[in-house]
Amino acid sequence: MPIIPSELVSFAEVPSALDLKAKLLANQTLLAESETHVIEVVDVLKSYGEVLDAYSKNLIYQAESQFLVPFPLFKYLNGDKSLAKIWRHLCHDRINFEYAEYCMKAMLWHGTGGMDAYFDSDAFIENIAAIIEVKRRDPLLGLLHPLFPQFLPELIRTAATTHALGQFWRVMSDLFIDLADAEADKRVCSISDVVDFMKAGLVAAAGNPISYGVVIDNKHFWVLPPEAGLTFLADVAVPYVEAVFLRGTPFLGTVSFNAQAQQISPDQAQFCYGALYADPLPTMGAGIPPSLLMQDMYRHLPKRLDLLYQNRTRGEGDVRVKICRSFQKSMFCVTNAAIAGTFPHGLAGTTADQLAADEAYAHAWAQRLSQGRTDCLAV
Amino acid sequence: MMLSILLLIPFLGALLFLLLPSQLAPTRMRSIAIVVLVLQLLWSIRLLFAFDLELPGMQLQESFSWVERLGLRYELGIDGLSLPLVLLNAALTLVAAVCTRELSERPRLYFALILLISFAVNGAFVANNLLFFLIFYELELIPLWLLILIWGGTQRVYAATKFLLFTAISGVLILAAFLGLAFINGSVDFSLSPLVTERIGMGSQLILLGCLLVGFGIKIPLVPFHSWLPDAHTQASTPVSVLLAGVLLKLGTYGLLRFGLGMFPDAWAVLAPAMAIWAAISVLYGSLAAIAQRDMKRMVAFSSVGHMGYVLLAAAAATPVALMGAVFQMVSHGLISALLFLLVGVVYRKTGTRDLEVLRGLLNPELGLPFTGTLMILGVMASAGLPGMAGFISEFLVFRGSIQIYPLATLLSMVGSGLTAVYFLLLINRAFFGRLAITPVEDPEIQKRLDVQLAPVAPRETIPALALAIAVIALGLIPAGLGGISDAATGAMAQLFSGAG
Repeated sequence: MPIIPSELVSFAEVPSALDLKAKLLANQTLLAESETHVIEVVDVLKSYGEVLDAYSKNLIYQAESQFLVPFPLFKYLNGDKSLAKIWRHLCHDRINFEYAEYCMKAMLWHGTGGMDAYFDSDAFIENIAAIIEVKRRDPLLGLLHPLFPQFLPELIRTAATTHALGQFWRVMSDLFIDLADAEADKRVCSISDVVDFMKAGLVAAAGNPISYGVVIDNKHFWVLPPEAGLTFLADVAVPYVEAVFLRGTPFLGTVSFNAQAQQISPDQAQFCYGALYADPLPTMGAGIPPSLLMQDMYRHLPKRLDLLYQNRTRGEGDVRVKICRSFQKSMFCVTNAAIAGTFPHGLAGTTADQLAADEAYAHAWAQRLSQGRTDCLAV
Repeated sequence: MMLSILLLIPFLGALLFLLLPSQLAPTRMRSIAIVVLVLQLLWSIRLLFAFDLELPGMQLQESFSWVERLGLRYELGIDGLSLPLVLLNAALTLVAAVCTRELSERPRLYFALILLISFAVNGAFVANNLLFFLIFYELELIPLWLLILIWGGTQRVYAATKFLLFTAISGVLILAAFLGLAFINGSVDFSLSPLVTERIGMGSQLILLGCLLVGFGIKIPLVPFHSWLPDAHTQASTPVSVLLAGVLLKLGTYGLLRFGLGMFPDAWAVLAPAMAIWAAISVLYGSLAAIAQRDMKRMVAFSSVGHMGYVLLAAAAATPVALMGAVFQMVSHGLISALLFLLVGVVYRKTGTRDLEVLRGLLNPELGLPFTGTLMILGVMASAGLPGMAGFISEFLVFRGSIQIYPLATLLSMVGSGLTAVYFLLLINRAFFGRLAITPVEDPEIQKRLDVQLAPVAPRETIPALALAIAVIALGLIPAGLGGISDAATGAMAQLFSGAG
């Protein structure tokens, strides 16, 4: 049988959990320092920031203007129902807002953090009861609600998660665009600078309040009132990272799993199909390869990164896979920043208990991350 | 002189290559070969316009005395049986030249041999004299042997020698039958007519037909004379495999129909039931052996063994529909197998292997070979006989024409047709579906992290395969064209047989 040329297949080094833990405790970056990595991370985050800007605007539009609309046919048009816009939409000359919805659904389904707890609270039930009372005037909703009493509450929870994710991405979009500006001004020159910049941004926004209200018949109703005390980092950012980076939302068009064949754990907490674990390589021709997000980022790819990709592997031919790989590296940087910003004692503990707490925290994260696609960290 | 010109084009082309300076770049030589072969194709199409579809017998005949004492005459003619094969030869030789790439070793000789094969195959198809046919039949042996021996894989000496031994025995048996015919007749009349065999007793006819059956059975090849073919294909380069499967095997089926059925209709009627069973065995064996293969090329080669069995089944039944099916099967198998070998060649060139235990996920849209995979799926669908493609028409005609005469053999062959879908789906599933990988890794953790870098397939590399795929679909959708060419000839041949029967 013919022999396979060795240059066709490669297998990148995978760091151990111990390596990752040591790096986290030493305040080193998970992603290796290199000039190319800086270009990849900064530029891919710039394009991601521009895409997040569009996602954020649409999610907020959906939550505010398409609230409990039974057939939201125009929900991706942001209120512009001109023929030109509809035509461009039908020709797929548009952002794939579906991806934003997948992320929202992942957050809703995995349900961690304060917002999910609030969804089950009496205050929330009372708030939405008032909303449902008004909305029942709609004949269809009026018919559905008595038949399926959990239907409208669930739709309102969905709308609330949609709005919260829109608010989260508003902050992240600005942060990623600012990062690109900072790199252009030479304020950010290394991966370490990138992680520090993001950590500072996350910490600065950590306490931002998250609230959501809707106007029905010129009357304002709170869904997530300020009194709920929901904040940016603990109640949206961390659940988002848990749901999208760690647990769910693999890139569409990549390897799939069969739950009936016991390939998926029945315990949601054990899920590891998120962006940090997902295979960047599309599998076969099903769906839109390799994912909707990569398509969107491709539309906003900075010239410098585009040139870098042109000179690698298949050039334009596999550009979305390369975007996906760079995106995965950048998401490791974001996670790195989030971990660094949430150490119990900020790696500055002095007592044995404080040091042990930080070490345990690093250990837990290293265990989770070591199962991810850490092979991209060194390359 | 039209048929002589058809022969002269590749022959003079081959001579031209021997006169070319050896320093000429291989790409330039390839271009010259392509020009010659385009001329040949155009001339073959020109024959189509000169051909009268209504006439069943030989047309455009040319006859000159050559070596009268040996009964050797320069006699050429073409009918509805040989014209489709002449067109197929012209098309596939052109495809073989176009898909020849990265040829650094003796390009002058290579292209001269390709043209010589095309000349010999054309000669065999238009020869209207037994000895004249045999000369051309033997003539293609040496160039093909050299093509495998010089430009083949690592086991090329073994494969080429095996091919030479088998096909030389085939030639000897055919020669023995032809000489036996002359000996029994007591004359040196080698003209192509059933009248030559009329005066011979049934016993002698059976012996002579038996020699022809085995002789051509080796070439087709039929089980158990098939073992040279998978080895030859595995070691041959892609263009040679295209020629071998697409054209050269057809010499066997053509010879069987032309000389076996055409000249020994009485003996044919006696042996036909056994031939039908032989065909079914060949179909089933070829299909089952294909299932067991892990080399893509060997799998396609064994599928050829199975699919050529359909032609024998149709020839055994010898009804007008079955014989029409035989012609369709020869043409469609030529196109489909050439397509499959071309695509296997692309896979091998890009990945360095054809091992089905190693290849995975080649249909990957970004880093794999998606267009090649798409054409491969189309090719295997055609081979499995899906409607709308050439394979369906030919298999349908063969089965429809044979089922009333030999129901058991036909049903068994139908099972073989179903098995085609089995082994080709195995091929597609193993090599093209799943995550892209070209290394056998048991550990799923490593498997999911493998990074495979395959060079992309340039559009020009798939143009020959695309052309063949279009031809496969065109023949499936518009079969009337080929049917019209061969209708009169196959009808006359069936009538000859039914008269004998």
